[in-house]
Amino acid sequence: MNTHALPWFILFLPLVAAAVIALFTQRNKTASAALSIAAVLTSFVLSVVLFTKLSAETLPDPETFNLPWLHVGNLYIDFGIKLDQLSLLMLLVVTGVGSAIHIYSFGYMQEDRGFSRYFASLSLFTFSMLGIVLAANFVQMFIFWELVGLSSYLLIGHWFERPSAAEACKKAFLTNRVGDFGFLLGILLVWSTLDSINFGTLADTLKANPAALGGAATAAGLLIFCGCVGKSAQFPLHVWLPDAMEGPTPVSALIHAATMVAAGVYMLCRVFFLFTPDALMVIAWIGGITALLAALMAVQQSDIKRILAYSTLSQLGYMVMAVGLSGPAPAMYHLSTHAFFKALLFLGAGSVIHALHHEQDIWKMGGLKAKLPITFATFLLATLALCGVPPLSGYFSKDEILALALGNNKALFAIAVFVAMLTTFYMFRLVFVAFTGPAKSQARDHAHESPPVMTWPLVFLAALTAVAGFVGIKERYISVLGKPTLGNHNVAVAFGLGAFAIGLIAAWTLYRKALSDPIPAVSPGVASLLRNKFYFDELYAKLIACTQGALATVVDWFDRWIIAWLVVRGTHGTTELTGMALRLLQTGNLQTYAFVLVAGVVVLLYVVLG
Amino acid sequence: MSLLTHILGWPLLAALLLAFVPRNFRFLTRLIALAATFTSAVLAVVMFVKFDTAAATEYQFVEKLPWVASLGINYHVGVDGLNVGLVLMGALVAFAACCCAWEVQEREKEFYILLLAMTGGILGAFASLDVFFLYFFHELALVPTFIMIGVWGRGEEKDYATFKITLYLSIGALLALIGLLALYLQMPEGKRTFDLVSMTEHFRGKAMDGSAQQFIFPLLLFGFGILVSLWPFHTWAPLGYGSAPTPTAMLHAGVLKKFGLYGLIRIALPMMPEGAAMWMQWLALLCLGNIIYCGLVAMKQKDLNLLIGNSSVAHMGFVFLGIASLNVLGVTGAVLVMIAHGFLAALSFGLSGYLYQQTKTLEMEKLGGLLRQMPFFGAALVMAAMAGCGLPGFANFAGEALVFFGAWTEFRVVTIIAVWGALVIGAVYMLRAVRNVLHGSLPEQWHAVKDVATPWRRLPFALLLGALLLFGFYPALLTRKIEPVVKQIVKDARAVLKPSVTVGVKNLSE
Repeated sequence: MNTHALPWFILFLPLVAAAVIALFTQRNKTASAALSIAAVLTSFVLSVVLFTKLSAETLPDPETFNLPWLHVGNLYIDFGIKLDQLSLLMLLVVTGVGSAIHIYSFGYMQEDRGFSRYFASLSLFTFSMLGIVLAANFVQMFIFWELVGLSSYLLIGHWFERPSAAEACKKAFLTNRVGDFGFLLGILLVWSTLDSINFGTLADTLKANPAALGGAATAAGLLIFCGCVGKSAQFPLHVWLPDAMEGPTPVSALIHAATMVAAGVYMLCRVFFLFTPDALMVIAWIGGITALLAALMAVQQSDIKRILAYSTLSQLGYMVMAVGLSGPAPAMYHLSTHAFFKALLFLGAGSVIHALHHEQDIWKMGGLKAKLPITFATFLLATLALCGVPPLSGYFSKDEILALALGNNKALFAIAVFVAMLTTFYMFRLVFVAFTGPAKSQARDHAHESPPVMTWPLVFLAALTAVAGFVGIKERYISVLGKPTLGNHNVAVAFGLGAFAIGLIAAWTLYRKALSDPIPAVSPGVASLLRNKFYFDELYAKLIACTQGALATVVDWFDRWIIAWLVVRGTHGTTELTGMALRLLQTGNLQTYAFVLVAGVVVLLYVVLG
Repeated sequence: MSLLTHILGWPLLAALLLAFVPRNFRFLTRLIALAATFTSAVLAVVMFVKFDTAAATEYQFVEKLPWVASLGINYHVGVDGLNVGLVLMGALVAFAACCCAWEVQEREKEFYILLLAMTGGILGAFASLDVFFLYFFHELALVPTFIMIGVWGRGEEKDYATFKITLYLSIGALLALIGLLALYLQMPEGKRTFDLVSMTEHFRGKAMDGSAQQFIFPLLLFGFGILVSLWPFHTWAPLGYGSAPTPTAMLHAGVLKKFGLYGLIRIALPMMPEGAAMWMQWLALLCLGNIIYCGLVAMKQKDLNLLIGNSSVAHMGFVFLGIASLNVLGVTGAVLVMIAHGFLAALSFGLSGYLYQQTKTLEMEKLGGLLRQMPFFGAALVMAAMAGCGLPGFANFAGEALVFFGAWTEFRVVTIIAVWGALVIGAVYMLRAVRNVLHGSLPEQWHAVKDVATPWRRLPFALLLGALLLFGFYPALLTRKIEPVVKQIVKDARAVLKPSVTVGVKNLSE
């Protein structure tokens, strides 16, 4: 097949699946699932074909992939396909991890009433995400950006009858919209300054003249970054991600680990050429702060999915920080390996939740190691990868980020090492309490391993987690994103492994045999601060209530009582008398009014023209 | 006869025919109305397809018959790129509205006569190239609106709503009329004509006196503005739509309301560039009243229909912003939003009308969890809400995006605030509606509500959604037609916009 056509198939197959399911196969569960899974699998296979066919030398010119979509005035919006090592690898990650999750969902969602709707949304999501990956210009990316927001809204709100899920999907969409506000302004600013929205053209312009953006450069970069802050759930817009765990667990694996939240980081790498040193500094610190805050919050959570959610936040913070430290290649590297092992962790958590009939509290688990052997083995592997234990993939990518921080910013390096320690601590807290420690409820006795349709995806992802460090992903990213300046490699490794050891020992001491969390007893203040996520939700609720909420109340009152009532009814009152007089002459019904109106027109015409 | 005359003629002819149909022939009444609107919708599609995009600046499907020669009044219809989309939208929405008219159970004959008169009037107003007929057709559509709300309306505030909408819209129409007559009188004696094409030609060649422009332009701006619910003259709209029978709300909010905007773009901008130069900066500020103020009001609504009504007022703000930016991007975007919003408003009011038939209340606190019970209705409402908050894939996004790109170069601060209104405020109230109506648990009393079940009932919603998606996926279908005409209009309207004035415009907003 012609390689030019392949990306279009990869992109549009999931959309076709979503449309067919929505329109025709709502009542046929198997057909819906088959369509959705077939679409993403085919996209995966085609991505592999594309990947093997296109070596770095023979990449076709991205410009030839553009179709005009909307050309008005001096605005040229094309529908393009941007193919380079960056998007090719990302295609593999999205469709590969996506395939595993689609198949797993077939088992996990078996009993669900909205089965077909679920697969339609899943396919729509895959389409949107692939659109971001392949986008060749800012507006196209924004379009798919918004579509990802929509499909995540649908998926998080899949169990819309639960009030918590209904609120969570709303919150996710709105928080993302706040980020998109900045993103769109950034796009407008870049367009009005450089007269193009095309990634290729912009990169060339800025290469020829780095000062082309002038005084707007830092502002434009930071506004664009707002989009990433929303989508990748960075501080201060991180609040939606933990709540989004209300969605079905495979959804959390797909969109809150491997794809959607990664879109922000991917976008930063795609337009890395835009950022000034000042903007990068802000980006690095936002990433560092997010990594730290989220890791601290994770320490005191007791919901298995929420622990993983905060861990995701924290790892995303790492990636954003890496971009800010001028290391897009390490960021993308970590993004890819993280996609494997975090999806694995979520799916493992899903397997546990499935076995325990929707129990998510780790303090009601325990002793699952023997009951769920495959789940436990793969979960442990993923945990070790996340904690950066050699020779797993997480070790290589995390080490890369630590070395990058060491070489560029010592303060952020300290934070990164501390976060690594916390990561090990909260992950092993989870492993000890849920899997190896004593059983804390009866639920465990009835638990049994998930069916093969769910365990095989776990094994597949575990294999990826194990080997991803050795297959040259890093080199490919470097070939397109450039080689970052790293600090001393050995120092970084020493600190990383030291952090792992400290975290492991702490978790071992505190949680190996624990039946309840010892930390609140020791330090109740700190524990409740962490458990309540530093009260960000409460703070924002207050902030919105006394700004936009208050404004809306005032405006509504004004509209109701001043404009609509006082002015209009007041005028009404004064004309009432006249009306009474007129009523003697008229029937007062509407037909008469209408007649008078038309008669008035005629009279006026007569007067003016007569 | 021209295709256009057929498009606007069939509904009017059917209205006439219905007058002779006995009252108890209810099926026949409905059949005639549906057949007429269906014919005109199909013909409108044919016209849209046949329209020669390469010659978008020229009037096509023209028909011209002299009427009152001494006053220069002709029956003159035709479409160029600017109104071809509007006529298509109007005809499709009219058919959808007619489909949704099954809720009217009493005095059907009169209702359908008025609905058909309204349809013919609207299509006529958009197709007319003669100012007299333009106005006449608009009145023909406007007057039935009042009667329909007064007689078939619902809710406790029905009478007050009728009074208010009649008062406001009559004043608006009257102001516009004075403005239009004044325009006519600005033509030199002997050359006076109501012919829109000749008038535009004339004022292009010989600019109108500056002081006359300063007098006439605001008359048209505020006259037409009131018809479009320009802030702060908007309060008739939510209440009026909330009380109107469903088909009336669909037709008025969707189509008739766009007349004022069309008038501004077609008549006021090209004929009075000096007026435009002076007033557009104020319009840019007023449009924030629509976008932000009405958006915030929409956030506080407890009734679904009032929420949709306020959101529809808010959406007009984007059109005003596009017009105010007075450049190709902005005005093209404005026209696109007009068309998109026509479909969207009709869809939203059609859906809320259906829901009202099921539940007899639209109070959101009493609703909830309906998605499980009504999957088709729910999916359509979610899509309408998403289109309403500017989600790509629906035509509204393309229009609003163009407006923002256009306005960004003219009024930066205003655009920033407007983008907030579009992305955040719009999403807040739309998602709140979805949350309260569709999500959550289903109250006991709604276990018996019925989804839109038959294909026939689904047709109007599917049609409107299909149009939104079609133009959303490929907006170039419209913009390729609109842009060449807008280019000419913008060129005319900017004829006097000297650089110093431009700076003035910018200073105001920055």
